[in-house]
Amino acid sequence: MAIDGNKIIHAVMEGSRIRESKGIIPLFGVYLSIFSTNYYNKLSFGFEKMLKERKPEAEALLVRAAQECGYATFQGVRNSWEWEEIVKPMIDRKEDQIEGFLAVAVAFGWGDLKVRKLVPGETLVIQATGSYEASGYLEQYQKAGSGKCYMLRGVTGAMMDLLYGKDYPEGCFTFSADEHLCRAKGDAYCEFTARKSPD
Amino acid sequence: MRSLNWQKKLGRDGHRVKFSGRPVAMHCHHYNINLQKTLEDTLGEQGVHLVYRSSEEAIFEDFKSILGQYKSIKAEKSKFEMAALLFQNSGMGIIRVERMGPDGGVFVSPSNHHVTGWLAKHGRRATPGCHFVRGWIAGILEAIYDRPLGYYTVEEQTCKMVRDGECVFAVRVTNNGD
Repeated sequence: MAIDGNKIIHAVMEGSRIRESKGIIPLFGVYLSIFSTNYYNKLSFGFEKMLKERKPEAEALLVRAAQECGYATFQGVRNSWEWEEIVKPMIDRKEDQIEGFLAVAVAFGWGDLKVRKLVPGETLVIQATGSYEASGYLEQYQKAGSGKCYMLRGVTGAMMDLLYGKDYPEGCFTFSADEHLCRAKGDAYCEFTARKSPD
Repeated sequence: MRSLNWQKKLGRDGHRVKFSGRPVAMHCHHYNINLQKTLEDTLGEQGVHLVYRSSEEAIFEDFKSILGQYKSIKAEKSKFEMAALLFQNSGMGIIRVERMGPDGGVFVSPSNHHVTGWLAKHGRRATPGCHFVRGWIAGILEAIYDRPLGYYTVEEQTCKMVRDGECVFAVRVTNNGD
């Protein structure tokens, strides 16, 4: 059975309207918050600007923070009762999990994400139109010289880590992703490729 | 008060998620706390300030826009209630105004997303850590009292991340020397 992304998006939108008494949103195994994309862009690009000549270090730290997050988040997601009830019945093979993760990410408002290529155990290519990071960069600054979607880059690596790395929690950073195309630098869309990290 | 209808205001525009027409994203405690820790570990006090300022600026813009959509809400108390409702419905937790006027006051949060997230990931901290919430309070107040960004300074006097009973925030007008 193909993954029905709309069904997952609907479940997230409905679930995100549920609050427990402490004002926390427990959904898909994580504590969810809903906040302005401007906040995340100000943090990431502000951090990058503050590190100035240490820009590669800033990029690496932001991608790393996102990859750790994606690894823990989607592990929580795939162990949640919502996944068990809504997504698992649509999964026929291991690789379908990626489509399930992407539907959750789209539901979270991270962009319009599609799998362009998946070679099991080796490569994952994800294409994004409407990444809020690229949109935010273009709104705040001039055209970028390099990719700016640090969160989605980290998350792409994390998805491969969860499928083909060692068992959780030992497999994080087995893969790493780069962003060779980015709307922030004038490309038509953003594209992320995850491959095995060098030893 | 014509209250904020959260259910109706949160919706989708294609792949985008919007609240009251403003772009939002859903993120979990793993990302929010990872970002905070990365900034604090790398930049120290400057990183703390970046979290505070980013939160202040973002909510200032958003809450001004929301207030503009609810022009019938004029009373200060109603605006505070709307802000608390927004905080809660964003999954940020519970916040209440203990006392507040144009020159300062006190906010209390008995539970919030960043405390829950920090304690779940890293356990107890040595120092207060609700920098996001401090910035959020400053931005909300600057929007309500129609003051410029940076007008208020918010300090956290007690914090659940260091195992205090509640997070207590003191608000004052920023001195020139701050």
